[in-house]
Amino acid sequence: MNKFLKYTLLLIVSFVFLFPILWVLLSSFKPQSELFTYPLTILPHRPTLENYVNAFASGDFITYYKNSLFVSVVATLITITINVMAGYALSKFWFRGRDLIFYVMVGTLMIPLQAIMIPIFILLKNLGLLNSLWGIIIPPAATPTGVFLARQYLQTIPDSFIEAARIDGAGEFKIFTMIIVPLAKPIIATIAIFSFMWRWNDFLWPFIVVSANKKMTLQLALANFVGQFQINWGNLLAMTVVTMIPMIIVFLALQKYFVKGLTAGGVKA
Amino acid sequence: MKSRQRSHGTFEQTRAPLLFLAPNLIIFSLFIILPAIMGLRMSFFDWSILDGSKYIGFKNFRDILADSMFWLTLKNTLIYVVAVVPLLSISALALALPLAGEGKGMGVFRAIYYVPTMLSMIIVGIAWRWLLGYDLGIINYAIRLAGGKAVSWLTDGTMANISLIFVTVWTRVGYFMMMFIGGLQAIPKTYYEAAEMDGAGRFTRLRRITIPLLKPIILVVVVLSTIEAFKAYELIFVMTQGGPGTSTKFLVQYIYQAAFEEDRMGYGAAMSVILLVIIGIFTAIQFGARREEYTNE
Amino acid sequence: MRKKKIASMMVLLLLAVALGSLWAQPKTTLTVLWFNDANESDVFMATMADYQQDHPNVTIDMQVIPFKDYENKLRLMIAGGNPPDVARLASAHVPLFANSLEPLSGKPVFDELAKGYFASSLALGQDDNGRVMVMPTEATANGMIVNKTYFKNAGIDVDKLSQTWTWDQWVDAMKKVLKANPKAKYGITVDFSTHRFSTFLYEAGGRFLSSDGKSMNFNTPETLDALKFFKMLHDEALAPKSVWMGSENPQELFQSGLVACHVGGSWLINAYSRNIKDFEWGVVRMPSRKINSSVPGGKFVGTFKNSPNKKEALDLIAVFSDKAHNEQYCRDTFNLSARKDANITYASRSKDFAVFTEDLNLTPAYTADDWKSDVVAKLNSYAREQIVEGLLGKQTMEQTAANIQAKGNSYFK
Repeated sequence: MNKFLKYTLLLIVSFVFLFPILWVLLSSFKPQSELFTYPLTILPHRPTLENYVNAFASGDFITYYKNSLFVSVVATLITITINVMAGYALSKFWFRGRDLIFYVMVGTLMIPLQAIMIPIFILLKNLGLLNSLWGIIIPPAATPTGVFLARQYLQTIPDSFIEAARIDGAGEFKIFTMIIVPLAKPIIATIAIFSFMWRWNDFLWPFIVVSANKKMTLQLALANFVGQFQINWGNLLAMTVVTMIPMIIVFLALQKYFVKGLTAGGVKA
Repeated sequence: MKSRQRSHGTFEQTRAPLLFLAPNLIIFSLFIILPAIMGLRMSFFDWSILDGSKYIGFKNFRDILADSMFWLTLKNTLIYVVAVVPLLSISALALALPLAGEGKGMGVFRAIYYVPTMLSMIIVGIAWRWLLGYDLGIINYAIRLAGGKAVSWLTDGTMANISLIFVTVWTRVGYFMMMFIGGLQAIPKTYYEAAEMDGAGRFTRLRRITIPLLKPIILVVVVLSTIEAFKAYELIFVMTQGGPGTSTKFLVQYIYQAAFEEDRMGYGAAMSVILLVIIGIFTAIQFGARREEYTNE
Repeated sequence: MRKKKIASMMVLLLLAVALGSLWAQPKTTLTVLWFNDANESDVFMATMADYQQDHPNVTIDMQVIPFKDYENKLRLMIAGGNPPDVARLASAHVPLFANSLEPLSGKPVFDELAKGYFASSLALGQDDNGRVMVMPTEATANGMIVNKTYFKNAGIDVDKLSQTWTWDQWVDAMKKVLKANPKAKYGITVDFSTHRFSTFLYEAGGRFLSSDGKSMNFNTPETLDALKFFKMLHDEALAPKSVWMGSENPQELFQSGLVACHVGGSWLINAYSRNIKDFEWGVVRMPSRKINSSVPGGKFVGTFKNSPNKKEALDLIAVFSDKAHNEQYCRDTFNLSARKDANITYASRSKDFAVFTEDLNLTPAYTADDWKSDVVAKLNSYAREQIVEGLLGKQTMEQTAANIQAKGNSYFK
């Protein structure tokens, strides 16, 4: 039927999405002198790996990579756990102040972080969290977005599941781990993707917390290629390509849970 | 209303939600709420990081209302929000619908549409400047080769706004698409099967099943994209720096300029508070609209 | 028995403490906050290698912060009571942090060192009271870089012409250059920055502040002349609109050969010698209008009143500022030195550096007074915006001058 049409459309849109990224990829193999030439070229004339070599030589990128990975993985695990628990509490229970807590959480999304950077810095200093990876991980772990998503998603799970389990005598914690978590797999995967990508790409929190070279994350190192007068486009493009690889892997690995969630929800409803 | 019945639970049931909530709430209060309150306090001060501070009551707020740059940037911001939010939400849903299923290659398409979200803003800026630049841009290059007249994608006020809106959708649509895909998984297949047996067409199924059941997620997307659009800063900074002139200068950029560049932290904090109230009103309307629909049902 | 045991333990403990304090050398870790355009932090460390050898008890902890957010990081650290021991500063940072910096004037070592530096460079590192707060590490000058191949194609000897040229002569020459080079679309591109625009301002005889530095003196016929000339360049398509009204990068435009001249600064020599392979280029004297002028700039190092290891920091800055270290650093980072006695042979392009120095030597001292003022620093973005509003024709340049004047005056309390 119009499967053909569907795929054609998807392919055309894909082109729009990929074209600028293709340029990033191809340009990362161009020597600096070729980056801005006129008439314009898309393919590199003299393809080279020098940008990659220079970028890796310009700093301790193995350490930055390790730091980014540690922060992103640990922070994502913490975020999923506490966000889904909070989302569950805010959607399937009733208690005084429930909606107020929820609205305040969503409300704080509206605060530009830069506006409260100084109080945050002073707080972290007093807690001894400056220049520590835990200082990057913990403070922003309680993401309002994740709570919001989890709450909205869990609202769609029929109350009868939970009540049935209570009648069977299951404890609250058991209900959460045995019933809610399996049902929430798609949204957990979504939050995990968002959290990982955000942590991997985040500049602001590492910027506030870290100045020591040994604790730098990739994004801080990347931003160092942009100077007052000069931008080292070659290094920047090469490192951008390198930093994207883990994100794509994580994305492809996690997205199979969407389909799993589909069948689970379908069977039980 | 339904939820109220559940308040008559056992002791365990009234305690449980608080325990579930606690870790999130503690971290959140300590690292976000506390600094935010300190920020709020700042808005009543003539606060300079390097020269100390002085309590001045509501003077900052009065000055803002008389500040023509505030009104200009607010107007620019509102136009941007009103254009971006519907465009972003609808295109995210339009991409999510075909991609939520298990069809062949859907995983690859999902990844492709999500990739722009992974780029740092500085790279987004250079990539699109390379496309949209007036002199070095490849689109204008192609137009000139074809004998046409180059387009002022970023050098004309109106066009710059349009370009900015388009690139915003490009960078963010994958993110909201994923939210929709997550939400679409929760809709039991049996509903569609039943509807199909009743002979409902594709559009009817979308209108009668998908949209109503997706409402909680639609709310998330609309609220979050509104907040994001109001706070837009980085993308604008790398694409137009607010220009040409002040054509794409938004409120948040003005806040940073006042707070950091001019070292008027109090003034910046006061503008942040006003921005917060404005976004608050917008999202309250969005939450309210949804509740009304519920009672109508 | 028990008493004895306790006593012997006490003795042991005392002994251990005494030994410990004997063995443990006082180790100091100096945090150095830096930002990079290229590899300046590495060059700094290499330059200070001998210092580290002479001071085995001092470890330098180099912390590199992205330039865009450098100012904010420093603010956070100072506001949080946690300033670094040594920080690199751009000239625009100096007025912002002057109150927190440890003054260097009045310390004999630095008073002596300062004598060896150009006054215009030192001026940018002074506070309102004329005290030296930071030492210059390198000097920068605004100036013009041209595509020599294009001039040659038009039959113009740009080296000779530029010795004495005026802007009117430049316009005439440019018409010929553009005619002779179909690939060149524009005559000139100017960095999208108030600082680079101010080159035109000073050449027209204008300035930002009054001579006593207590009010604005921007809204003058001289300023208007500069603004209108700048607008003419854009209206006549001698300059691309896409830089000031769009987001094209002037460096890329020049590199691609679309523009014949670039008004930038001395820092471009390094980048252009690496990236330009398709044509000949070089630095020429700025054309004159009312006068000849460049705009001084530079980078500095300083320490803060609350820095934990101020004594060691001052010592390090003093060593870094002597002739040998300064020459090495400037040579290896491809920068002009701020020292009068510096005698540097660069790996290449020494002649081009000399042209910038020549322009800098003609530059009036008040240019530094403008740019060391916190009012001008705060005015930066606003002025740029207002100039563009004038270029766009949304307002007259008279209005632009008046607006900038009024905004600037609002910062004087």
